[in-house]
Amino acid sequence: MGKKKSKHAFLLFFLIGVCLTAGLPASVLGAAKPIVIGGSLPLTGQYAETGQWIERGMRYWAEEVNAKGGLLGRPVEFKIYDDQSEVSKAVTFAEKAITVDKVDLLFGGYPGTAARAVMAVAEKHKYVYVSMGGHMKSFQQGYTYSFGAPPLMGEWWYEGFFQWLATLPANQRPKRAAVYTINNPVGLSLMDSINRWTKKLGIQVVINEKYNAPLADATPLIVKAKQLNCDLLFSNGFFPDGVTTIKAAKALNYNPKAIVQGIGSVIPAWVKELGRDGDYVFSGTSLYNKLNYPGNDKLNAYVKKKYGLDGYPLYFGFGYAWMQTLEQGVRGANSLNQTKIRDWLKTHKVHTIAGPMTFDKNGLPPPINFCTQIIDGKVELIWPKNIRTREPVYPKPAWK
Amino acid sequence: MKKVPLIMAVLTVAVLALFPLLRPEVYYLSFLFTLFMYVVLSSSWNVIGGYAGYLSFGHAAFFGIGAFATAKMATAFSLSPLLTILSSIPAGLLAALVALIVGYPCLRIRGPYFSVVTICFAFVVDLAVKNIEELGGAEGLWMTFMDLPEETSRAIMYEVMLLLMVVTLATVYLLGRSRFGRGLTAVRTDEEVAETMAIPTAKLKIQAFVVSAFFPGVAGGLFAYYLSYIHPDAVFSINISILIVLMAMFGGGGTWLGPIVGAVILTVVNEGLSTFAQAEIARIIYGALFIIVTIFMPDGIIAYFRRWATAQRKA
Amino acid sequence: MDPVLVIQSLISGVMMGMVYALLGVGFSLTWGVMHVIHISHAVFGLLGAYFAYTLLTLYGVDPVVSAMVSTPLLFIVACAVYQVLIRPLTKAREMVVASMILTFGLAIILENLLVLVWKADPRLLTPSYASESWIIGPFYLQYPHLIGFALSLVGISSLYVFLKKTTTGMAVRAAWQNQEAARLYGVNLFRISMITFALAVSTAGAGGISLALLYSFEPHSHNLWLIYLFLVVIVGGVGNVIGTALAGLIIGVITGLSMAFLPYQWVNLITFGLLMVFLIFRPHGLFGEVG
Repeated sequence: MGKKKSKHAFLLFFLIGVCLTAGLPASVLGAAKPIVIGGSLPLTGQYAETGQWIERGMRYWAEEVNAKGGLLGRPVEFKIYDDQSEVSKAVTFAEKAITVDKVDLLFGGYPGTAARAVMAVAEKHKYVYVSMGGHMKSFQQGYTYSFGAPPLMGEWWYEGFFQWLATLPANQRPKRAAVYTINNPVGLSLMDSINRWTKKLGIQVVINEKYNAPLADATPLIVKAKQLNCDLLFSNGFFPDGVTTIKAAKALNYNPKAIVQGIGSVIPAWVKELGRDGDYVFSGTSLYNKLNYPGNDKLNAYVKKKYGLDGYPLYFGFGYAWMQTLEQGVRGANSLNQTKIRDWLKTHKVHTIAGPMTFDKNGLPPPINFCTQIIDGKVELIWPKNIRTREPVYPKPAWK
Repeated sequence: MKKVPLIMAVLTVAVLALFPLLRPEVYYLSFLFTLFMYVVLSSSWNVIGGYAGYLSFGHAAFFGIGAFATAKMATAFSLSPLLTILSSIPAGLLAALVALIVGYPCLRIRGPYFSVVTICFAFVVDLAVKNIEELGGAEGLWMTFMDLPEETSRAIMYEVMLLLMVVTLATVYLLGRSRFGRGLTAVRTDEEVAETMAIPTAKLKIQAFVVSAFFPGVAGGLFAYYLSYIHPDAVFSINISILIVLMAMFGGGGTWLGPIVGAVILTVVNEGLSTFAQAEIARIIYGALFIIVTIFMPDGIIAYFRRWATAQRKA
Repeated sequence: MDPVLVIQSLISGVMMGMVYALLGVGFSLTWGVMHVIHISHAVFGLLGAYFAYTLLTLYGVDPVVSAMVSTPLLFIVACAVYQVLIRPLTKAREMVVASMILTFGLAIILENLLVLVWKADPRLLTPSYASESWIIGPFYLQYPHLIGFALSLVGISSLYVFLKKTTTGMAVRAAWQNQEAARLYGVNLFRISMITFALAVSTAGAGGISLALLYSFEPHSHNLWLIYLFLVVIVGGVGNVIGTALAGLIIGVITGLSMAFLPYQWVNLITFGLLMVFLIFRPHGLFGEVG
């Protein structure tokens, strides 16, 4: 009998415990009326890795701002919810941040699909939303409060690569391209620059295929590209499918003149996990840790010390850069009034680690793109030429 | 229903319906909107999964069909907000029609095999939408906003979802107590025996499946308008299918109250835990909830408290 | 159609399918014997993958060796998991449902523990032969695929031999065919269940390591793996060890052929669609439940 009672007691205790912990308000720091910046990030689930890097970047920015006396004389702090990589949760948490927590500023989320949905929320509530956005289509919806600063814009992603390719003598350029694209907003947006430039440069697109994730096997993709003598391979995918493709390319000894990888190679795991097999892969980016703009050195030193990495990961930089834009908007408007911040941002130049930028009526800067190539296990900048960190390796040496 | 519970139910609905008049923050309306939505999803799932014992793991398919049908209609014909909301009803009918077509061959399969067929079905629908550009494809669909203050438009969505929830619960309640419901329970207990008792099991199962697909379809339509941008990943995710099943089973499958209790507890706890300082720890606590409850209440919360109540009465 | 492409696609498809079968066979066993749908099965596979990853990066231990070492370790862990978590469920009215909910919770816990220990970053298991091939004429046999395939053959056949030839194995099969009779003959069902569960989980470790040779993995990867597990197990027939292996082959053939002949965009859809059709016509899996 007593045993049974204690069981009940334990159950009750547990349930109450769960409810209490669930309802606990986040600890409020002592300082005088901080500026609260709220929103959600995918801290667990499918996109946890990226979400956590964005968070680290943002927190570093806050550390720095607070050390310098804060924003508008007030310290800044974050209210970050974990949307568990779900779009609908990102929406509810954006609304929670805006209407319940009444945060002073909103921050940007990830991935593109979540950003697309949250852009709508920001517009409805008239909150400035600085994020990577959800590619060109999301900036064509007539939203006025969203900014891509810098955006992750698939449509621009290979611009730098093609500009560099155009500088090669025509007989050295690849002639036949195999294009494999993941069937999601990122993948589809990458097709834009490929379609424009292959026409312009007279490169024949021999294979143009989409696949749905997960990519079970890349062997047939490589066999096909090899048989049709494609000397340029576009692997427009994420890390898992990108890695599968590269490993198959090496295993089947497929040696095109250049391999271009969509999103996968921008995360630190590419170099770390693939090692030398990840070398010579081209990719694009709208932000890069070896850029010569102020702030990059400092960030690199910080991640070196804190995480032992050479150069900050892309999404660490994004998290930081979006906050920089927001910060300048607030300082410029000298107010936390969202419309004033928006109007200031639309009419002034901001300076970020991705360079100076101005925004058009859709909230986009003029196309930004840098071409990168992985050389000797390091991501090197190869285009635009004036900021090149290393000569590109072309054609790609054979696998060894 | 007996008098007292009926009055309580009416009172609860009345309080909920009047809640927007207090002018709560938009978030609370949105949160309750999602909560009602999950009650709709798991209660309708319960008709086929709980009463008939056919565990469908692909119910997100119907939810998603409703969402994309509504979004497509709204964008193709530039529907007004009112018509957009109403278009979720034909969207629900479409989901029901699909259930009819798919249910016919699939419901002959029993046990876990049925579950896996429904998983496959959900993937097929998901991938078909992603591959067909006319449906929005892998880009998804954008819908226009209501031209109203956000508080008002969220309050409207809230009331509509509340209405859907009440209709769903009433339907499920009445079905559960009808001959239809008893027939389904017979199917779950022993399908062969039910057949020998001249219960038209095949027909009952199809009907149950169609009903359990209709309401999620309508809910999907409303959800699409609520999000205003939808992508296949947001509505067809297998996580949604699994969550629906877990909610119903967690509370107690085959009971009217079970899915409601399950949906409310899991939604509230999950939402609350998201404010927790360290995200991973929050998820671990959430996981532990499933373990502890299952160990102590292996047949669901409702069954546990019923047994407990009977024990009290005896003592 | 080009024969080299077709055969090459078939080769890698079949090897891939067999690797899924290795991860699936234990899942099939717990389901068939104990009526436990073990949702966290694939997380134990991931645990094996991280174990091999750590041993490889820190000490250069070959993944095949790690697979051997991980098997007894996971066996012990699984015994404990059984005693603490699974055994109390035997009093549930519907074991299948209760076990599913419980192990779903366990999967969430383990996944997030993996994040806390190894971070959310994706990993690759890259021994020296990670992207090497054995070249026969125009065909390339990729070593990771070959090794996964071999591990799968060894794992599945030893499980099969164990069930068919050892006394304990026979007791497991007896218990599964008729619980009452087994109890009457003095079979300790709890002990048998514990052994079954532990065996299943220990094959998951090897399966996870084999999968990690083929794909990158991160803490949430088990969700994806689980879907394939379900497919392999159902097509093969629940509890059917040889059936699971054959199902792996079949899924590999379907994937390989559809990748050779169809636009890639339609491959996953066709795979799932065909499986649906298969199940409609063969509602107990292609090979039935017992075997």
